[in-house]
Amino acid sequence: MQRETRIAHYVAVCLAALSLVLLSLPLSSPVRAFKACAAYVFDPLPYEGEQGYQRIAQAPERVRALLTADVQNRRLQEELRGDAWLRATTQSLTAENERLRAELGLKTPAALHPLWAHVMERDPLRWYSSFSVDAGEDRGVTLNDAVLGRSSDTVVAVGRVVDVRRRESTVLLLTDERSAVAAYLSSGTLEGLVQGQSQNSGLLLMNYINSEAKIVPGDTVFTSPTSVTFPPDVLVGRVAAVNPRDPFLASQSVEISPASNAAALQEVLILRARAPIGREYETERPVAVSSDAAASQAER
Amino acid sequence: MNAVRAAVLLAAAMLLQWWWSAHLAYWGAAPQFLFALTILIAARRGPVPAMLIGWMWGLYADVLRADLFGADALLYMLAGYVAGQFRSQVDLEATGPLAAAVFLLSWVYFLLRGALGSIFAKSFLWAGWIPALATPLLNAVAAAVAAELWDTRRAR
Repeated sequence: MQRETRIAHYVAVCLAALSLVLLSLPLSSPVRAFKACAAYVFDPLPYEGEQGYQRIAQAPERVRALLTADVQNRRLQEELRGDAWLRATTQSLTAENERLRAELGLKTPAALHPLWAHVMERDPLRWYSSFSVDAGEDRGVTLNDAVLGRSSDTVVAVGRVVDVRRRESTVLLLTDERSAVAAYLSSGTLEGLVQGQSQNSGLLLMNYINSEAKIVPGDTVFTSPTSVTFPPDVLVGRVAAVNPRDPFLASQSVEISPASNAAALQEVLILRARAPIGREYETERPVAVSSDAAASQAER
Repeated sequence: MNAVRAAVLLAAAMLLQWWWSAHLAYWGAAPQFLFALTILIAARRGPVPAMLIGWMWGLYADVLRADLFGADALLYMLAGYVAGQFRSQVDLEATGPLAAAVFLLSWVYFLLRGALGSIFAKSFLWAGWIPALATPLLNAVAAAVAAELWDTRRAR
């Protein structure tokens, strides 16, 4: 018994000393690292569990995406059905309009043939002046065809075709000083002539407005029915500023902020006056627009 | 053969401790099987084997906790030493006194561990009230069950 007790004392002292040495050494961090490594190697449950959890966690997201797609699909189908009804209504109104025009003896406007084209080149020296599109004679584009663009789901006036080549065309922008388009102000249906400016290429100038008219900044400007190039009621821009009146002139002018950002345009809609030879590039039905030539003098 | 069986039992106890702590611990309270078994071995086999096994199990417990490496080794070994020394004064062969001893030594274990933290980790390592109150009780139950199993096996 004495011997066992003595041995127990020795063993206790040795192991206590060893334990104190271990306590003194900074071993916690290495042990944690070893433990993490061992857990990864010998215990696949956490790793596999994490993988499985990730898979399960992604499942509701996929189901939600699927349900969202289904809802969108149903809504689009309803919109398509509505579009079909709208198309039928438009055709009916067009037919009625043509019949009434015929009865009144008015000239039937020429049908325009829309064509989408890509903007393919811009001249850095004339950034606000013109650009080239990838549609030319081969697709039925002709000189002075109207060019429209899209801005926030609204069709806006961009310019007109001034040069037609075999497979490409040059579009002169409204902001070029050589451009001009007959337009009216939404507030009072006052007509004027919207022109590009050489000094400030980003803004347009609307001239020849009645000097007595009260114009408010923010008024919208649309193409006039008297425009030769453009169909009527196409958005041109908004009044940015009203210029001071000149007492010696019978008209006033305003600055117009164009609705189309020419630098951001990637695709444009060319309204071809002539029917294309082939129909492979047709995107929409021909659009009937008024083209009374009486006011053509107002537009170059 | 006995050595192999002992090694298997030691490993099984370590595995049980890890599995229970990892999956069945609630609010940090889980029985310290290795601590209770160290005292049981001290009561049945004497202090020397209890200290050696307890020190090894303590190192394993240190690896499991990894906050104050060496503390459990020292305390498990001391528990085996104290239980081995007192088995001549107290009948630790009986289940009741053994459970009481495990309960008291568990409390001492928590206090000493906190004190070791004050010395080596510069903060009192307090396990929390729930583990501190529940674990000694669980340890006592575990020691009692282990003692009953030991006696049953020896009776065969």
